[in-house]
Amino acid sequence: MPSKIYDVVIVGSGAAGGTLAAHLARRGVDVALVEGGPKVNTRTDFNTHAMPFEFPSRHIPTMKPGKPGFDSERSRGIGGKTMLWNAVAWRFSERDFRGKDHDGAGENWPIHYQDMAPYYEKIEREVGVCGNLDHLEDLPDGIFLPPVPMKCTDLLVQRGAAKLGVKVIHVRKSTLSRPSATRPACHFCGNCMAGCDVAAKYNSADVHIVPAMKAGYKLDVFSNAVVREVAVSTENRVTGVRYLHRETKAEGEVRGRSVVVSCACAQSVALLLMSKSRLYPTGLANSSGELGRNFIPHFTGGLQFFLTDMIGKPTTDDEGFLDHAYVPSFMHNRKRDYARSFGVQFGYNNRRSVGWARSMPGFGKAYKDSIRARYPAFVVFSPYGEMLPNKGTYIDLDYNRLDEYGLPAARRQVTYMENEQKLYADMIRWSVEILKSSGAEILSGTDDKPATNHELGGCRMGDDPKRSVLNAFCRSHDVPNLYVVDGSVFAGSSEKNPTHTIMALAARAADNISERLQKGEM
Amino acid sequence: MPDRREALKIMGAIGTTCAFPFASNELYGQHVHPPAGAAAGYGPPRFFTPEEFATVSRVADLIIPPTDTPGAVQAGVPAYIDYVVASNQEWRKLYREGIAWLHEQPDELAALTRYIDQPGDELPARFFRAIKSMTADGFYTSREGLVVDLGYKGNTALASFPSCEIPEH
Repeated sequence: MPSKIYDVVIVGSGAAGGTLAAHLARRGVDVALVEGGPKVNTRTDFNTHAMPFEFPSRHIPTMKPGKPGFDSERSRGIGGKTMLWNAVAWRFSERDFRGKDHDGAGENWPIHYQDMAPYYEKIEREVGVCGNLDHLEDLPDGIFLPPVPMKCTDLLVQRGAAKLGVKVIHVRKSTLSRPSATRPACHFCGNCMAGCDVAAKYNSADVHIVPAMKAGYKLDVFSNAVVREVAVSTENRVTGVRYLHRETKAEGEVRGRSVVVSCACAQSVALLLMSKSRLYPTGLANSSGELGRNFIPHFTGGLQFFLTDMIGKPTTDDEGFLDHAYVPSFMHNRKRDYARSFGVQFGYNNRRSVGWARSMPGFGKAYKDSIRARYPAFVVFSPYGEMLPNKGTYIDLDYNRLDEYGLPAARRQVTYMENEQKLYADMIRWSVEILKSSGAEILSGTDDKPATNHELGGCRMGDDPKRSVLNAFCRSHDVPNLYVVDGSVFAGSSEKNPTHTIMALAARAADNISERLQKGEM
Repeated sequence: MPDRREALKIMGAIGTTCAFPFASNELYGQHVHPPAGAAAGYGPPRFFTPEEFATVSRVADLIIPPTDTPGAVQAGVPAYIDYVVASNQEWRKLYREGIAWLHEQPDELAALTRYIDQPGDELPARFFRAIKSMTADGFYTSREGLVVDLGYKGNTALASFPSCEIPEH
């Protein structure tokens, strides 16, 4: 179909691409969704219910034998990372969007909470988010399904934290705690990050993409299409994308009146950097030179501990939907010597994995007994901190590492500056205090170095075209019919999990795109 | 909503169809939790000699002995260790040298007691670090370790998530 010209060509089918595709298609927009991986069937293709002893290596592969997808970076599938995410869904607060106004550090987003609130609500009503109304200044409430009860281990941490004046709340997740008209409620089998085979947990394929196709909207899905370039005309308009077939490597093209790049942070930045032209010799839409800069992934620690109150208790089926509780950011109003804050995810460990046993001392019956006694008491604790943009943290292309398609790897460079070092030290210190107050025996993690997670930034939104790549609607400052929507657009990362915000941004961008299509601006 | 007692009954099992209704549509009409698959088999050792395999088996059972639940050998840990070691040049060297060293010791248990959990680059310390880690990994990923010994109860379908039953919580 190379001659057809779609209204919108979306690259990537995850949280952003899937949401955009459905929201645009419902309005009658003619959409092409281009995904580098294959189609997958949530119900049959993942190893959701496998146990480690079924495999000689004792590692459970993501996909069942013979089912392609998701086993390597270039071989994902329709649904993107929403197939494997943990579904934590927070609204960002006004302070998250306007951090610089509060402490002078980092950069403001070009939008306010009030711009996003209607879109958060839209997404919550559409996909179903469970949670409690907590009335916290820094974590806005939303339209929630009932929360899921906390685990015994959560209640112990909640009690310990309360002694320090720190709140522990119910987690909020894009997982159904009550059935919807088309999806069952979660049944707590405990393996959420291996593909939820009933789609109680949101994934963009089953909740957004497939229903839009079945409803007969104009939505064509090109799977197995590894996009290598976004094409731009001499009139400074993007005209579509060029791709290589994932297996045959045959070349292909999808043409459109507009293009949205939603390949997940680093891959989106890489695709734009690869799309060099006479107009844009350093990468598409990069007249500012900011593309790849302002990379602000979360940084996280990981403490492993045992709650002494649970040692020796009988083993129960408490896997639930992984983490049921959360420590929301509490530092904003406390005295500290750094900017921004942190929150703590905990208890998302899966009881199918007992990797900590090797670090326990001793041998023989005493060793075996001590593992058994501690098994119900084991919990992990992961504080997440906000990184400020710095010159040493960026994404670029590594032409010394070409993949099987001849495309350069996206290279992430991360430098922790003084603010991150202070914040990290403080979040580990607070974590230890909370755990001590909860009666925990800490096994590991107090001396670990920070690790990054939740890739964000690199293609940030902003009001100033010299200092940002996109405007307040995720549209390129340079190219009027090019959009980027995913984690790369974040101007500030907050400490909160980003996907809910990515989906709300996608819904907001969809409004803007369809309005401009109607006005003939594309 | 089923009551607690009913919910607990439903908590039965790997291998049963969920006993509560899902929205009846084509995709999710009936959700079956398949029974856990058979444990992977390993066949005869690929790397260890019979004598080495016997030594690995003795050491593994010293680390995790049979008690009221199966021990490392009953859980097939030596075959798992052989599988891991066979595929890696460095492991092969370490195990070959470590076992040879152990064969020269007058008392296996005394050697293990002295060197297990010891840091450092000495051969016996490195050897016991490796075999303890692999014994723990192999045992606690086996059905005997995970399900029988630890009593793993997850991977089921619950009608609702049970509130904490420990009264003082």
